[in-house]
Amino acid sequence: MSAAETTAKTVKERAEEALRDDFLRQSVRYTTDRLRSARLQAARDQGNWEAWRERGRQIRSHTIAHLDYYLNQFAENARANGAHVHFAETAEEAVRIVQAIAQRKGARTVAKSKSMVTEELHLNKALEDIGVQPIETDLGEYIIQLAGETPSHIIIPSIHKTRRQVADLLSREAGEELPTDTPSLAGFARRRLREVFLTADIGMTGCNFAIAETGSIVVFENEGNARMVSTVPKTQITLMGMERIIPTWADLEVMATLLPRSATGQRLTVYMSGISGPRREGDGDGPEELHIVIVDNGRSLQLGDPEFQELLNCIRCGACLNVCPVYRHIGGHAYGSTYSGPIGAVLKPAFKKNILEWDDVADASSLCGACAEACPVKIPLHDMLVYLRRRKVEAGRAKPPEALGMKAYAAVMGDAGRFRRALKLGRLGMKPLARDGFIRARIGPLAGWTRHRVFPVLAGQSFRERWAHLERELERELAPAAPGVSERLEEALRRRAEKREGGVERHGG
Amino acid sequence: MADEKHRQWLAELDAESRRKQQAVLDGLAAKLGRPRVTERPPHPFRGAPDFWNAYELTPEERIERFIANFQAVGGHAFRLASLEEAARFIADKARELGASAVIRQDEPLLAGLGLESLLTGIDVQVWNDRPEDNWTARAANAGLGVIVADYAVAHTASIVTLSAPNKGRSVSLLPPALAVIVPASRLYTRLGEVLARIDGMGRERLPAGIHFISGPSRSADIENDLTIGVHGPGIVYALIVDG
Repeated sequence: MSAAETTAKTVKERAEEALRDDFLRQSVRYTTDRLRSARLQAARDQGNWEAWRERGRQIRSHTIAHLDYYLNQFAENARANGAHVHFAETAEEAVRIVQAIAQRKGARTVAKSKSMVTEELHLNKALEDIGVQPIETDLGEYIIQLAGETPSHIIIPSIHKTRRQVADLLSREAGEELPTDTPSLAGFARRRLREVFLTADIGMTGCNFAIAETGSIVVFENEGNARMVSTVPKTQITLMGMERIIPTWADLEVMATLLPRSATGQRLTVYMSGISGPRREGDGDGPEELHIVIVDNGRSLQLGDPEFQELLNCIRCGACLNVCPVYRHIGGHAYGSTYSGPIGAVLKPAFKKNILEWDDVADASSLCGACAEACPVKIPLHDMLVYLRRRKVEAGRAKPPEALGMKAYAAVMGDAGRFRRALKLGRLGMKPLARDGFIRARIGPLAGWTRHRVFPVLAGQSFRERWAHLERELERELAPAAPGVSERLEEALRRRAEKREGGVERHGG
Repeated sequence: MADEKHRQWLAELDAESRRKQQAVLDGLAAKLGRPRVTERPPHPFRGAPDFWNAYELTPEERIERFIANFQAVGGHAFRLASLEEAARFIADKARELGASAVIRQDEPLLAGLGLESLLTGIDVQVWNDRPEDNWTARAANAGLGVIVADYAVAHTASIVTLSAPNKGRSVSLLPPALAVIVPASRLYTRLGEVLARIDGMGRERLPAGIHFISGPSRSADIENDLTIGVHGPGIVYALIVDG
């Protein structure tokens, strides 16, 4: 468990902490804006973006629907390449396998490139527990490891750190005061981590895609550290989520078109490496031993669930974070889990599949649908957030005040007299708070809303109060409908309903 | 002795993994509500959409596009008239960078450049020509790596390099600068054209490392400020030559 996950209990409390941090809010907004416009530009430059997204969805859905076949094919081919393949159903199993390899190798240091799966497993802590030092080598990951924190963005993990904070962290590591300009700071990290690459006993990577037909793993990155940890150390361990599979290298073109453009707006990441087994006979570099740990940890629970199976299509680009009004407001740590933003809000409860652990994460969304629109493989994330809320309510887990509020609403709205009296009370109550038609004061029952927003004052005359007048006007002005109009309308509605039932395109994969 | 014990340990792990594999895959099939799929399923959506597969640039356009896209990400790309010109370019850059050592892949095309005679006073290493040496350390100490692209892609401005006993992955990774000879005949329009060739090789003939390199190493992890050359080479020259 990271500090970020334990210091504050609820999403609301963590969000409030984040909202007090001005740099965090500005930086998150600036970075997500930059990534979002880069993505839109890259999609325009590539052209036919919808066709690419659709093909991406088709390939991912097809693979997930036949995951048993492709995973088996991958494992057999990876072994034929000389890799050692391991299956871990739980986080604990994955940790045990990695610890066993590290102990067997007598490893003291593990040089790691970016891997969200290892974050999910809290693998760094597990390695430290057996006296092995894990060292993050992606610049952003290195910074937050020195700070003792966890990533707050899938693509830019140190999005929440200021240059001053980075300089302080690296200076502490250097044992001298470093200048705060980027070349000096990055230069120090390069020198320090170069020693790590050259001396680490084990190199550890994540896996963006795994090619079933050839048993290859594919890693996308910009810095070169993933190439380092898969080239220099004698032993390589790669952690992969079991759903990372695609059938062929040809399919990789679609993923390589969608992933970098959606993540950062790049045509391709600087490095895309396909690794097929350990070094070959006679090779002068590359690992002598390659272990691939295939991790389930809740993923397979989505299979066969019509509402959540498409969650496994995710290619971890972070585009949904960059467009999410909630993420942009509170940053990644407020979600309190490895994955943040809309994808994190769904992944966390879905992977646990334990209704008691479904906390308020799914509520941290405005259901505006921007996430689904940005998703390069068209995952209907906002629908999934609604399914989560529904399941939570079905399990009787909605908050008592919310249930009470709904009951009170029903009682007031169902009775004209009560509604009239409630309105009167409201107008009276808001009088001292209203300015220019809005309420900004952060007190009373509206405080939860007005802390970050303004609330419009009640209308001088409610719709219900105006209804008697409106009804009279309507009766005067509406001419009787022309003969046949209502029949035509009904016919049109019927046709539309038929079309919708016939058009189940979403699950075509 | 120790090796034998280690092999035995690995064999035990593998046996355990195979048992587990069947249980895990049976579980996946059960969740999907059907028996295990053991025959290759029809894959109607393989690869890029048709409109994209029809996209092809002329050889001239490919060169122009590669150069423009490579420069856009901070790389240096030039079209040179001959290999002799490329050899002179590389020798000039090695001196300009103040490299005390240069390391190149052990390929006939690179041997033909005659860097050894052009770079008097600079140590020119040839990858893995004495297998007992520590070649990673040699690459780490070189100021410039020199390779030939196995393939290149115009649309993504990518250089593709395949590992082999005579072609180290370290040569394109550890030195702070990299020079790549790109024969124009190996330059394709789309990424998919190269990927189809990799599919075509088949698993048995794949090298351990297939690396797509599209510009200099970069990071924007410190306050979004772009920095070049974090871990991999910060200076990359792509030299396109005819043939």
